[in-house]
Amino acid sequence: MNGPSVADLGLLIPELILTGMALVLILVARRAQGTALPVVGTVMAAVGAAVAAWWVLSSEPQSAFAGLITIDGYAQFFKVLVAAALALVALLSVKGLEGKGVPRSEYHVLLLLASTGMMLTVSAVDMVTFYLGLELITLCSYILVGITVDRPKSNEAAIKYFLLASFASALMLFGISLTYGLTGTTSFSGVAAAIAERGLADHPLQLAALALIASGLAFKIAAVPFHAWAPDAYQGASTPVAAFLASGSKAAGLAAVGRVGLIAFGADAPALSTILVGLAALSVALGSVLALAQTEMKRLLAYSSIAHVGYALMGLIAGTPEGASATMTYAFFYVFMTLGTFGVVIGLGARGATVDGYQGLAAQRPGLAAVMLLFLLALTGIPLTSGFVAKFIVISSAVGAGYVVLAVLAVVCSVVSAFVYMRIAVLMYMKDPEAPMPARLPVALCVALAVAVIVTLVGGVLPGLVTPWAVAP
Amino acid sequence: MSDYPVLTVTTFLPLAGALLLFFASARFARWIALAVSLATIAISAPLYTDFDKGSSALQFVESVDWIPDWNLVYGMGVDGISIPFIALATLLTVLCVGVSWVAVKTRVREFYAALLVAETAMIGLFAATNLFVFFVFWELIVIPIFLLIGVWGGPRRVYSAMKFLLFTLAGSVLMLVGLITLYTTCDTLDFRELAKAAIDPDHQVWLFAAFLAAFAVKVPMIPVHTWLPDAHTEAPTAGSVILAGVLLKMGAYGFLRISLPILPEGAAFFVEPMLVLSVVAIVYGAYMTLAQTDIKRLIAYSSVGHMGFVTLGIFTLKQGGVEGAILQMINHGIVSAALFLCVGMIYERTHTREIKDYGGVARTAPVYCVFLTLFCLAAAGFPGLNSFVGEFLVVQGAFATENWLGAMAIWGVALGTVYMVWLYYRVVMGKLNPGLEGMKLELGVREVVTLAPLAILAVCLGVYPELVLSYLHEPVKALLGVAP
Repeated sequence: MNGPSVADLGLLIPELILTGMALVLILVARRAQGTALPVVGTVMAAVGAAVAAWWVLSSEPQSAFAGLITIDGYAQFFKVLVAAALALVALLSVKGLEGKGVPRSEYHVLLLLASTGMMLTVSAVDMVTFYLGLELITLCSYILVGITVDRPKSNEAAIKYFLLASFASALMLFGISLTYGLTGTTSFSGVAAAIAERGLADHPLQLAALALIASGLAFKIAAVPFHAWAPDAYQGASTPVAAFLASGSKAAGLAAVGRVGLIAFGADAPALSTILVGLAALSVALGSVLALAQTEMKRLLAYSSIAHVGYALMGLIAGTPEGASATMTYAFFYVFMTLGTFGVVIGLGARGATVDGYQGLAAQRPGLAAVMLLFLLALTGIPLTSGFVAKFIVISSAVGAGYVVLAVLAVVCSVVSAFVYMRIAVLMYMKDPEAPMPARLPVALCVALAVAVIVTLVGGVLPGLVTPWAVAP
Repeated sequence: MSDYPVLTVTTFLPLAGALLLFFASARFARWIALAVSLATIAISAPLYTDFDKGSSALQFVESVDWIPDWNLVYGMGVDGISIPFIALATLLTVLCVGVSWVAVKTRVREFYAALLVAETAMIGLFAATNLFVFFVFWELIVIPIFLLIGVWGGPRRVYSAMKFLLFTLAGSVLMLVGLITLYTTCDTLDFRELAKAAIDPDHQVWLFAAFLAAFAVKVPMIPVHTWLPDAHTEAPTAGSVILAGVLLKMGAYGFLRISLPILPEGAAFFVEPMLVLSVVAIVYGAYMTLAQTDIKRLIAYSSVGHMGFVTLGIFTLKQGGVEGAILQMINHGIVSAALFLCVGMIYERTHTREIKDYGGVARTAPVYCVFLTLFCLAAAGFPGLNSFVGEFLVVQGAFATENWLGAMAIWGVALGTVYMVWLYYRVVMGKLNPGLEGMKLELGVREVVTLAPLAILAVCLGVYPELVLSYLHEPVKALLGVAP
């Protein structure tokens, strides 16, 4: 392994684009406050980063910075996904932050930096970069959750999130240090080799390390029983921030779980599978059931995201590359459908915040209601939407690994969640409107919704366009 | 053979029509729906003219790689069992447009769009040659029907729509697990290849149970039938027609397409419980009708009984029984759809479905009563009309299996006569109910044209059942060749 060279920087072009834009926005923050520059800049940076991740680096897998990061199909896939999530969230923020007194430039800087962290995380092949990436995401997220400083709820959510997340990070760091102590290395492949060579798979300390790292990661993706922060944070945060947590953060977290699970602890398969089965089963069941009782949209979507993370984890249980690509596909489609749903929530303004606000929407805005129905069907997993394809492959992967009971639990929970989502459809289509007509949607929001609709529909009908890119590490 | 992919075009033409409706003005919505549904029949014509009845093989086969990475194929094709169902689905959609012509006044575009999406799902389901495609259409139909019931239905529509949705989804997700298990063990979902695959008999029992969950809800079999009376009663007329006419057949069709050929050992394991549940449905459904005061609810419960005949016939696993069951499905599709149309037409005028609010209708609406007489007699299994032949074949098959099954089925037939004639008596005969005084109950030309095709079919199939049966002989022979 050679030391870092300038050429290695070439592999970080997507990250550099995002960071560069963040620096520019900081420099011009004061002048750009009231203008469209932050949004336009963020979207352009995101598109540039996606293109860079896709084309410029689409060569053989290569590692850089003395084996701290790697650029492979897995990293590229998630980088594009993160960039897409960033662009859509930036578009959603145009309306989502209206009148909230949020400093626009700083807000977008934080989005950009968090996305940089996500990109680092998904390409990390060393515990150190891995941890750094995750912490960059979390640090930015704390501030984003609390960025509406004059709302007490937002502050409360930020503090709760901060306390719990620091605890989780500490756990993970402790797990990493245990692994380092046992194996003498921090690189994923080194850890795997040491575990295999010295027969550490059943070592109690190694199992403890695995459990600690898994807990820390489960916290990041809000899998049960490490989910308790999510509903409060989503509710307290402004809606675009909640959308960002539910989409980009989740995708990056899942990518992290996938890479650590498959590369570093692949030899630990039985223990890891047990942990993942537990997390998946609990998340799917509790997420679906608790969503039933919610009357606030953001809390409902928080529980929905918990359930969805459970489904996504089902792909990783098998510990096979096919399973990992199932999870990748799930993450991809999930990001667009959940961002679409948040987009409708934002588009309806104050009315969209509660479940009752959707009453009679189909009579007032048939198009918007149809779009929302599509996302709800996708979240439920009805065929010809991407949600069905996603569920189909992760459940196939679990059944293929022999976890039929888990599969049955998952599909039964999807019926429960159907009640959750279709309740909104019932309100939209089968009740008469009481609230006044919602205002017209701004163009930026329409663009974001259109992208989400297209991915959800095309992904449902022709998933073959996405699946070839979802290659496991 | 024609030079376009008949099945794909037939299946997706209604969907294209539904999309077109979103861009059309509400004034033209019903005309567009009518044109699209008629065009669908026209374009499906080769299915009837070019079909070879002497073969049990799939015809009009189309096969395209859908998701190559997962070895999933978009496969369409029909055999003699599918053809009558496709005919029924396309015909009933046109009649649904006809009956909704003036009855639907709110959100007209959405109504016809939902109807056309449902048509796509129905045709696609009966044309699928692949479990994945089958499942996609199976789930796809739930949404438009859910909306039809919930948006345009009666007073308790939301409750009924939700109940329908949750019951069907609960069944179908278990089918999804069954489907995925088949997929991971056999690595194909093609019906023909699955039928050839050697599946472990123990697995077959579980798989049969998983598919049974989905099919039993749709048929519906006792004890998962409770969504049906609510859904049928609250749905708008067109919704009831689609539900009774086609949707209920999807479950029984699933038995024929999946459970029997692919899981013969599983079917053998479950034969007796299925037969018992079938006769329970026949007798229980018939008794429940006697207690109903709402006409639509009465017809809904009669559907439970009639579908009991269908499952009874299928699980006799005899040529006559299975053919009778399929014929019974078509007949029930014609007769129950016709009865729901009749009820819907008079409901538009009186706005009541309570039997006690009627009486003496014959005095003011003779033409209406001619149709009602015909359809009531057909539903009661009157010889010379269509239902008689199907029920006769099923009962014959039941007697050949077990005498007591046949006896119970006969009991059901007898009760069927009682409740249909009693309903007819209360609605049509006697003095005119004072509440109907001064109402114009007679049918208009549009309504006569809507009912006429079903009346003609009821008579034709009663006199010459070979019209449908001739399609069935070969495929049923092939089906029972592999069934136990």
